[in-house]
Amino acid sequence: MGKRNKTTQIIILVVILVLGGFAVSSAFKKPEAPKEGSTIPDLPLQQLNGSVVKLGDYKGKALVLNFWGSWCEPCEREMPTLQKGSDEWKAKNVEIVGINYGEDPLVVQNYMKKVNVHFTMLLDQKKKVTEAFGIRPLPTTFFVKPDGKVHAIHIGELTQSQLDKYLQEITGQ
Amino acid sequence: MRFDNTKCECGHQNAIGTVLCEACGKPQHEEPALDEVLEMRYDGVARKSQKANPSIIDRIWNFFSSVKVAVYLIVITLIGSMFGTIYPQESQFINIDASLYYKQSYGTMGHIYYLLGLSHTYESWWFITLLVMIGASLVICSLDRVLPLYRALHKQKVRKHGQFITRQRIVYQGDIQDSPNTWLDGMSKSLKKRGYKIVRDEDALLAEKNRFSRWGPYINHIGLIIFLLAVLARSIPGWHMEYYDAFPQGQPKEIPGTPFYLQNDHFTVEYYGEEDMPEQFVKEGRVIAKLFETKATLYRCVDKCDELAAEPVLEEVMKHDIRVNEPLEYEGLMVYQFDFDLTPRLVAVKPVLENPQTGEVYGQFELKINRTETHYEVGPYTLELTHKFMDFGLDENGKPTTKSQDPNAPAFIFMIKGPGLPNEGEPYMYFPLQKDKVKFQQDVINGEIANKFDLHVQSMNDVTLSESTSYLNVRKDTAMPFIWIGAAISMIGLIMGFYWQHRRIWLRLDGQQLALGAHTNKNWYGLRNEVARALQAVDIEVDAKSIDRGGSKA
Repeated sequence: MGKRNKTTQIIILVVILVLGGFAVSSAFKKPEAPKEGSTIPDLPLQQLNGSVVKLGDYKGKALVLNFWGSWCEPCEREMPTLQKGSDEWKAKNVEIVGINYGEDPLVVQNYMKKVNVHFTMLLDQKKKVTEAFGIRPLPTTFFVKPDGKVHAIHIGELTQSQLDKYLQEITGQ
Repeated sequence: MRFDNTKCECGHQNAIGTVLCEACGKPQHEEPALDEVLEMRYDGVARKSQKANPSIIDRIWNFFSSVKVAVYLIVITLIGSMFGTIYPQESQFINIDASLYYKQSYGTMGHIYYLLGLSHTYESWWFITLLVMIGASLVICSLDRVLPLYRALHKQKVRKHGQFITRQRIVYQGDIQDSPNTWLDGMSKSLKKRGYKIVRDEDALLAEKNRFSRWGPYINHIGLIIFLLAVLARSIPGWHMEYYDAFPQGQPKEIPGTPFYLQNDHFTVEYYGEEDMPEQFVKEGRVIAKLFETKATLYRCVDKCDELAAEPVLEEVMKHDIRVNEPLEYEGLMVYQFDFDLTPRLVAVKPVLENPQTGEVYGQFELKINRTETHYEVGPYTLELTHKFMDFGLDENGKPTTKSQDPNAPAFIFMIKGPGLPNEGEPYMYFPLQKDKVKFQQDVINGEIANKFDLHVQSMNDVTLSESTSYLNVRKDTAMPFIWIGAAISMIGLIMGFYWQHRRIWLRLDGQQLALGAHTNKNWYGLRNEVARALQAVDIEVDAKSIDRGGSKA
């Protein structure tokens, strides 16, 4: 068996390894919704004034993403809690952001007046962000650490004590 | 270390593992029964993997070069793919939470199924690993055998060792009457007539036909390798897509990952009438669908595709009536009919603003239910939308609210400004659907202003309904042509091996004494008759059966 044969063997095995590795690795990297411990995607969202923010812009801050809809009763019940949390924690490098599920800006504005909140609200009119986050029931709240990693996902209504506990955890305070 | 003397008595240096001398064909290892039929697989040459002192790379190579291993791999893969058929796979559902679905639908067994990852068997790492290993085995098994075999068949020696000839399965030995040269000429002619290629070397002769059929299995393997590579290539981003989605009539919907939008223009379902069905079916009250059809338009987004709020600018690409087995096809994108829902949904209305006292119509405007505009100019009046409810209702405090995100009971509150009205305007509530107008008492809510204004649609022409929702299955499979090419090559290989056989006849004359041996890789019956007839042409009468020594070795 000559040297040339050996080289051919190695080349063939390497090609198989590379192709196979690529194929097998594809089984692991499905575009899945963020889970606890994964980094949130840097997706753009529309503000009520029409300008665009990206989720990555909030990097460096502890971030709370609250997905809601105007028809959802538990969402409405927890809104004052979120507003209170926003007022108390804003100075401690925390951003609480509401993400509305596909409704018109007018509906969102009226809703904010009705439930008397004024923390940051973002629009997801094409429902792409909600989809990327794999949201099913509303409300769902993501607690994200300053490094962009998801600390916890809370499904359903939040109480004040739960919110404070999560906020303490993600800020380390 | 094992040391073998691998030099044949004819002087040829063979590789380790050689069964029959590469040159003269003499058996290299003495076997107990000296006249036993020879092992002719791969013409007795050593496979690439047979060598002394294998290194690690050789060991990996040897593992994959084993046909036994290949069979095990195939069997394991078959068993593995059976697991994927126990419960439906995740990819078959439009929108489920798999972590709950399997438990709810199939109980604990279902949950275990999900936890084991069998709900996506064919995308799992172990299944793909098995496919990759089968691929490796295909490549290495083939190379390991085809190269030595090619070399052996390419430089065949005509004059073979006596033992090689007499230990073939088909053997004839006897004396000839003519002079050797005349006899060989006659035999050549007779064999040529039967399609053999003849090579002569003094008193020895080799006749051969259909050698190409030996390459059939390897061509088949090349096809299978292309097939497998194509299947694996589906994981290249953008190569493969399959999902199910709801397409409400009249609303273009984005096909994710592509610049395309698809719109369901109209959906039709037709059923067989009683007169079209057998009596038995009518008695059983069966309903059988005759036609499912979605008239669809495919658009390409040309502008504002990635903007968050703006409507994308679409350009029509094609129209197609999607029916069962007649998908819409465009640039590898395929859309199949899957399901439907005939619940109508309000899309838009074109109400007129009218003075109910005089009947004077001030103007008409279009009001979209989704993504509604907030400002309208109607004759001398302006209407500012201040509130919108998709599914109007009252909460426990008696305040207006929306009960869901679906337009089941849409309601709008406008601030009307204009002649004869206060500067800040007057609110007017509008329910586009008549049932809601009555149920929620639109006129009572509006009070005084109801005497000045009435918003209503004049005819059904001014109402845009989504009559139905069509559920479609969207597929894209760039790898498909390669899968077909692979399958076609593989078929060619199979046919080559199925319908032709590699037949060889060796003969040598030692003086007047003839020794003839013949070999084929299958259809021994055909070969022995052919040999008998060829001999008959040179006046040697033999019974075809008597020259076949039988045996199982091909």
